[in-house]
Amino acid sequence: MNPRRQGIFILVVVPLILGTTAIASVDDAQSFALQAAEPYVREGFQVREDYWGGDLAAGEKKAVRQQLFKGNEYWFWLGTEVGHARISVHIYDKDGKLVEQPDSWQKGHYAAAHIVPTSTDSYFIIVSIEESPEERTHWALVYGFR
Amino acid sequence: MISVFKINKWAGFALAVIGFSAQAAQAPQHIDVKQYKKVEDVVVPLPNEVFGALNKLGPVNWKEFVRTEKGANFSERPRTALLLGNVIADGFIAVQAQDAPAVKEIGQRVLSLAKGIGVGASITPHAKAITEAADRRKWESVRQELDRTQSSVQGAMNELQDQKLSQLVSLGGWLRGTQILTAVVSKHFTQEGAELLHQPDLLRYFGDRLTAMPEYSVPVLESIKRALVEVRPLIDSGSKPISPDAVRKINEITTRLDGEIVTR
Repeated sequence: MNPRRQGIFILVVVPLILGTTAIASVDDAQSFALQAAEPYVREGFQVREDYWGGDLAAGEKKAVRQQLFKGNEYWFWLGTEVGHARISVHIYDKDGKLVEQPDSWQKGHYAAAHIVPTSTDSYFIIVSIEESPEERTHWALVYGFR
Repeated sequence: MISVFKINKWAGFALAVIGFSAQAAQAPQHIDVKQYKKVEDVVVPLPNEVFGALNKLGPVNWKEFVRTEKGANFSERPRTALLLGNVIADGFIAVQAQDAPAVKEIGQRVLSLAKGIGVGASITPHAKAITEAADRRKWESVRQELDRTQSSVQGAMNELQDQKLSQLVSLGGWLRGTQILTAVVSKHFTQEGAELLHQPDLLRYFGDRLTAMPEYSVPVLESIKRALVEVRPLIDSGSKPISPDAVRKINEITTRLDGEIVTR
């Protein structure tokens, strides 16, 4: 490759490839979250199209605040594409009290939390990368209700 | 955004295995929620979330809330964004009413408004899918396509760095949803129905977003900002339940705002 073409390659093509990889990883995390949701759809849960995501270091946590309605039942599903990561998702009320159902679960790079709200209010969904071989681990959260 | 549930049989098998081997999640019983960084201030629910909760309280005659009038077109983008959210909410109402002709008209209206605001390309396939699903009376598919429509519109706006317009789409939908919620609860008042209005964080969120839009000097946004201040004490009544009077008053306010949103 002549130096001019090499320069163009470095300036234009490499960032494009890197950018595509980064986007694909968050999308991959979302597809894992949706895989976790799939069995629940057959039980009548409507899964919202939007999702929330990003990347976190091992041990880091983040919160998603969410308005929930009494009468509905919600599941939140968290996924990552990093196979050896361990992730978790939990639901707290405004006062910081754990309010999820005991059938909430975590398994490697999937986790899910279940709530039947006892009041209409906003709640905190806390996502965490507990362990990961990667410096930063992509995650995605989806939710459904019925 | 990736669409959903076309996973292969091996993925299904893997999830079945997870079902057998997943552990119950261990978590602290109490945390200080203020110490966590938030991904988003507060997630705005889709109108059908509150409609779903309403349905569980008793039968609702959704047909009386179906609306398909074309209404005005606006040259101001903030007004079109608000109207777009409002019309998508009408789509969810038409799904509740299982009114196929209304759903199809609303699908076309959404497409025309989205084109007017420069994001039509992102939703053309959804508008087509809405029409097809309505023809086949596949209500779950229609609902899913409406959800995708709103998500695609907002995604396209965010890509164009129009996050504020995207927030107005959410606001338009929330106002229409709240108008219908209060109309239903006013007719057959129950404490449980009124409690669905307890959304103080959303009210604060929308108020903050509107304050951060000084560049949009559109009278309807000023009206909404004032109305949110009026509504706040009615829904944030502390330990007291939300009263029938408060519900009626919120319905009057949101009906007035709806008039300002849909008419020139």
